[in-house]
Amino acid sequence: MTNTQIPAVRPRPAPSPVPAPRPATRDRGTRLLAALFLAPTVVGIVVFTVVPIVGSVVLSLFHWNVIDSPRFAGAANYRELVGDSTVLVSFRNTLVFMVLAVALQLLVALVLALAVNGRMPVWLRSVFRSAFFFPLVLSAASISVVMKYLFNQDFGVVNWLIGLVGIAPVPWLTSENGAMATVILVYVWQQFGFSFLLFVGGLNNVPKEVHEAAALDGATGLRKHLHITLPLLSPTLLVASVVGIINALQVFEQPYVLTDGGPGDSTRTVVMVIYETAFEQLRFGTASAVGVLLFVLIMAVTALQFRLSRRFVHYQ
Amino acid sequence: MTDSHLTRRALLRYGAYGAGAAALAGTAASWDRLTGADIPGRDDGSLVVATLGPAYGPAAVRTLTEGFQRLHPDIKVRINAVQAVDWSDFFAKILTQIAAGTAPDLVYVATEGVQLFARRLGVPLDRWVKRDAAELREYFADVHPALVESMMYEGSLYQLPVEFNAADIYLNNQVLDRAGAGFPAADWTRDDFTTLLRDMKRSSGSRFTPYFWTNRLWGGVVPWLFANDTNLLAESKAPGGSWLWDTFYPAAQRAGRGGGFRWTTPQAGQPRVEEAYDYLAALIEEGLCTRPEGGNGQNLIGVFSTGRVGVTPAGGFWAGGLHLAGMRAGSFDVQFFPRWRTQRMQFGAAGYALLRTSRRQDEAWEFIKYAARRDTLTRLFETNQTTPARRSMLNAARYAESGPAHWRVFYDTLDRFPDTAPIPAPPQVAEVEQVLLKHTGTALSSPRSVRPALRRMQGDLEQAMERDV
Repeated sequence: MTNTQIPAVRPRPAPSPVPAPRPATRDRGTRLLAALFLAPTVVGIVVFTVVPIVGSVVLSLFHWNVIDSPRFAGAANYRELVGDSTVLVSFRNTLVFMVLAVALQLLVALVLALAVNGRMPVWLRSVFRSAFFFPLVLSAASISVVMKYLFNQDFGVVNWLIGLVGIAPVPWLTSENGAMATVILVYVWQQFGFSFLLFVGGLNNVPKEVHEAAALDGATGLRKHLHITLPLLSPTLLVASVVGIINALQVFEQPYVLTDGGPGDSTRTVVMVIYETAFEQLRFGTASAVGVLLFVLIMAVTALQFRLSRRFVHYQ
Repeated sequence: MTDSHLTRRALLRYGAYGAGAAALAGTAASWDRLTGADIPGRDDGSLVVATLGPAYGPAAVRTLTEGFQRLHPDIKVRINAVQAVDWSDFFAKILTQIAAGTAPDLVYVATEGVQLFARRLGVPLDRWVKRDAAELREYFADVHPALVESMMYEGSLYQLPVEFNAADIYLNNQVLDRAGAGFPAADWTRDDFTTLLRDMKRSSGSRFTPYFWTNRLWGGVVPWLFANDTNLLAESKAPGGSWLWDTFYPAAQRAGRGGGFRWTTPQAGQPRVEEAYDYLAALIEEGLCTRPEGGNGQNLIGVFSTGRVGVTPAGGFWAGGLHLAGMRAGSFDVQFFPRWRTQRMQFGAAGYALLRTSRRQDEAWEFIKYAARRDTLTRLFETNQTTPARRSMLNAARYAESGPAHWRVFYDTLDRFPDTAPIPAPPQVAEVEQVLLKHTGTALSSPRSVRPALRRMQGDLEQAMERDV
């Protein structure tokens, strides 16, 4: 038996040759160590995020063409944007793209995650998981080049295939609505793998007991998913939608390669306008102003999402 | 309650922090801007030449450097082959290098960028050309004056053209045979062209499109504008340049030449421009030609070589491209662009531009001369991936293996139609091109769209041309 009695008088500790550090010194040491561990991340964020953001804001107040020295312009670059129809159209396109692409991406990812999580051999589940995730690791530009061939109105494989069943060639990339739809399809096909993986993880965390209890109460099929799975999956859904929206608002490669923003401006996105204004027209100040507006838009949309999430997201 | 008074030690500490920060900020503010060139080892004293990567493979780069080194062992040269999909992409990357402080000494610049570089970055070559006139006489005698004029800006010469490509019409002989049509005459008209497209369409399946074109500045709508004796922007000549013409060209060849091209007032609303768009819209409506696609026609070689396309506009560069794609010499041919109001055609040329920031300008000039030599160009342009600017290099031997049979058309586009001119490429070219491509796509979506789209194009072009670049 162990003696747990506490002695009435605590024995004095033997005098140590090295005095124990004072609490303040220990705290300082801990803080220093923490700062040391945090430093690489903080330096990375400052150098690669904070400085470029501040730089963009500052540059948006100047006229700069790379070749000559920047000239202070005040708010002239922002005033210019108000009357620029291309910029306005690009913001509209980007918002339309974001809404449709993210909704489709989440829907496809969720349905496939539910399907893969159902009853099937483990090896088949692994095959599906890899197959759905695979497009995400490919370069968006390479995928878009291939898709451009596939969706070519006159010589593409897609029109050839639908031609076999008597459907007339579809102007996938050369009509205004067709081009936006095709860009969204290509984007979703490549991107949904990320949301899919999040949903698969989220579904695995839903306690089996809850489903069993719901089954005992008579919930089945779609009803079970709507009232049990979805609410429990809402934190994952929030993460997937935040990441999806931020990515969609910055879409560039797919419309750039597939349609070059056309026909007309129908698939021109904000990031395309930033690229064209800066690197093709050498108006870096104006491009930065567009960049700042996009930054504000992303921040606003993300803030709105988190605000709404208080009502719709349920944590276990 | 918290004691808001600072201790003396804290005051000293914060004072030291403040002084440190101020010293750091002061040092940063007073320091010259750090650039990529400040990285140790970046500037190794070489003459840096930026070329369009895909055009210059490793063998070509070796040819350029080794040949130059043999001639000038004292000048170290480094070729910076910039990978880019087209000229616009190439210029964007060069400008990024300039912004980063790692500007090359020489840049390979095509017509699209000649005036932009000349206006903002380039050094006129006049003094060197005058100094080495005797040495250059042979070069100018071999190069059409239109190509040289396309490299002039406001009276000064900025580049020696080494290659060019005019828009001619490539024809697939197998498709011609299938249509029972003969090879078109050199003076064929736009109506002959339309008839040929209809014949081709009739004799081929539904998966066949007679005329393929790519929506871009070179070879898109612009050849049709030239053939209809108009242009996107009003074209005129800058004064000056007689110092060059009087020295190097006989009276007959220098007549009408000036100090370079000027493209000024947009004229997208002109009736002749509208006619050209109406014509293309009608071809699309009839299923005789593809809808305008953006990009650089990557899939064109494939569909042409497999007989799914009958004709397409391209320059001498395509002879090598089709040969590499497996087309035999007799399976395709080339003819001038058809006549409409005129048979004047558009071209693009390229050469080396010397940048103002270069500290090795004399060495750079030696490289420019070396790169324009016949032996250098012969080694560089072995595979017919372009049309050499030197007339003497276009001969039967060059095209014996690759074809086409009518290879003379390439240089004859300049010789027979001496008013053939460069594509409209003012310093605002990037925006002009973007506006052209954007509104061309809309204009040709249906015949009814032409007029409103051209009205918008005119407005956007006016805005673009007002911008100072």
